[in-house]
Amino acid sequence: MTRLRLRTAAVVAAVVVAVLLVATALILLAGANPLVGLRGLVEGVSSSPYRIGELLMGAVPIAIVALTLIPALRAGVFSVGAEGQVVFGAIAATAVILGIRDLTGDTAPAVLYLPAGAIAGAIGGALFALLPAWLAAQWRVNVILSTLLLNYVATGFLGWTLRTWLSTPETTATPQSEKLPDASTLPDLITGTRAHVGILLIVVALVVFEWWRRTPSATRVSVFAERPALALRLGATRAGTLYRTMLVSGAGAGLVGWMQVAGVNDRLMGSVSGGVGFSGLAVALLGGMLPFGIVLAALFFSALTVGAVGMQSATGTIPSSIADVIKGVLLLGVAVIAALRPGVVPSAHPAPAPAPDDGAFAPDELAQTAEDAIVADEDVVAPAADAAAEPPAAADRTEEVAR
Amino acid sequence: MTVELWASILAGALALAAPLVIAGVGEGFVERAGRLNLGIEGMMILGALTGVFVANLAGPVVGLLAAAVVGLALAALMNVLVYALKANEIVVGLAITMLGLGLSTFLYQLWIPAGTTNVSVPTISKIDLGPLTDIPLVGPMLFGQSPIVYGTVVLLALAWAVMRFTRFGLQVRATGADAGSAALRGVRPRKVGERALLIGGALAGVAGGTVALAVIGSFTPGMTAGRGYIVLAIVIMGRMSPIGIALGGLLFGFLQSFSLLSQSTSIQLPSELFTTLPYLVTLIVLVLTSRAELRRQAARLRLS
Repeated sequence: MTRLRLRTAAVVAAVVVAVLLVATALILLAGANPLVGLRGLVEGVSSSPYRIGELLMGAVPIAIVALTLIPALRAGVFSVGAEGQVVFGAIAATAVILGIRDLTGDTAPAVLYLPAGAIAGAIGGALFALLPAWLAAQWRVNVILSTLLLNYVATGFLGWTLRTWLSTPETTATPQSEKLPDASTLPDLITGTRAHVGILLIVVALVVFEWWRRTPSATRVSVFAERPALALRLGATRAGTLYRTMLVSGAGAGLVGWMQVAGVNDRLMGSVSGGVGFSGLAVALLGGMLPFGIVLAALFFSALTVGAVGMQSATGTIPSSIADVIKGVLLLGVAVIAALRPGVVPSAHPAPAPAPDDGAFAPDELAQTAEDAIVADEDVVAPAADAAAEPPAAADRTEEVAR
Repeated sequence: MTVELWASILAGALALAAPLVIAGVGEGFVERAGRLNLGIEGMMILGALTGVFVANLAGPVVGLLAAAVVGLALAALMNVLVYALKANEIVVGLAITMLGLGLSTFLYQLWIPAGTTNVSVPTISKIDLGPLTDIPLVGPMLFGQSPIVYGTVVLLALAWAVMRFTRFGLQVRATGADAGSAALRGVRPRKVGERALLIGGALAGVAGGTVALAVIGSFTPGMTAGRGYIVLAIVIMGRMSPIGIALGGLLFGFLQSFSLLSQSTSIQLPSELFTTLPYLVTLIVLVLTSRAELRRQAARLRLS
């Protein structure tokens, strides 16, 4: 145990050193002094209340997306679609808020607007997540690919929305919706910053997550990723797990969509998602799929983004896109660290469930086991695992190869 | 819509399909070996930047070679992480994509600071096929293409032959079908997987290079626009066979060409529909493919 812990510590240290080395190399490449760059980064995050507000405002949406993604990731459902779900949540929230305004003639109080916007956002995101879940449950469509492709569909739909049914009558440089009524927007949490009260939602998300972790449902989800057949006996069907986990992640992303509309811009814009979905996925993995880690990782990601701007202005030569490079290197490091703790990240090629040979399984259960073993692999689309998981079919597969 | 417009849409489809098919052939090897490369997008975009940067110094052909080297290097990195450090293939792939997108933007901004004009480099020059090009309609479509398109056709044939007739091809297929049995018969799955990924990475780099060097001759951040993911979908749609990959690439190329060119005509449809159409159709075909695959598996289970 201690040896494993030592090894983990060594690998973590190696990853940190590697990230620092890459960052230094990039700064030197840009012809700047790494120390000046570092100071710019730190000052960019902490020099004024406004900056701290920016930091929180950036971190909370990422953390919420990451927290709500955990059930799906633990179940081995690798959804990359938070980006599109944020967009749909934002569209739904904007449409409902503007709809209420038109119905009531802008007399509705904030008590009506805020819950309505939040619920509409969550439902919008959840519905958009339902589509890949349904495709996967029904026809085993690879979730990674369907969610990736649907992100582009969401972007197209957003563009069309902003040009037609939700566009503002004023002429603006970029397509955008009408400004939301004041009562429907989230008030500022700290005056003089852009941080809004919506960031308190992270507390709610954390509490709900801690509660969920202790429910049987959490256990079933984790078992499902490792041993689908066992999970089935515990009452977790494949379709049920897919739908539930995807709905949760979709609702979380949709809620973030509402937050971005009602808290940050006060209107729907083309840039509403702004990479929050992808950062959320990266942060969920970086944080080891645990709440504390996720909050830290989200703060770190946000600090990189906010601080990189400070770095750019301090040195004048370092493009702020350096933050994206460091995030990529970090995610690589996470993959390496996660490999030391099996079970944290679902393995790409899980070992197929051992073939039941004790006769305890009824024949139809046997077929189910074989099928479920394939299911565990479907996200990876590995013909290898397919063949390995189906003992009866393996023989003719080998023939195919020989031919 | 006139016949000429359709002819130019089809000609554009071939040109737009080429990078997808090049990367798809590589990913075909990777997936046949039972692996998955989600880093294609990152390899492509870095390949595109490298291609343009080197082409600016030494000409477009050297640029394409440099793009291949970059893809190869990223694939080697991925191999080390996945095999030596046992990292998760999916996470590593996504991280490579993130890294590629970020690094390409960063390096581009260093190379061409904001406010200065973008560098334009010579593109791969066309071969003059003389009178063949003058054949109405078919001429420009088949004989007026960039050499990259013809190279892609050669690559397809080559990939098919390697997969079918060589020892390496057999090893790849054996590893993908059943790594355990293959290992028992003296194939080293790790070595085969590593080599397949190196091929996939190099071809993804070239594909990115062609995106920038075939027609445009300059780099813009994010110019691959999700093509790396489309490649993955195409390979699954085409069941990893060269013909299937080529058809999938042509389908996407056609839709993209159609969306680019038909906006200039009198068809009154929202422009977003056209830009979304390629992704939407890819998704639909993916669903159909998965459905057929599921039925096949079910039938096999019933038989056994």
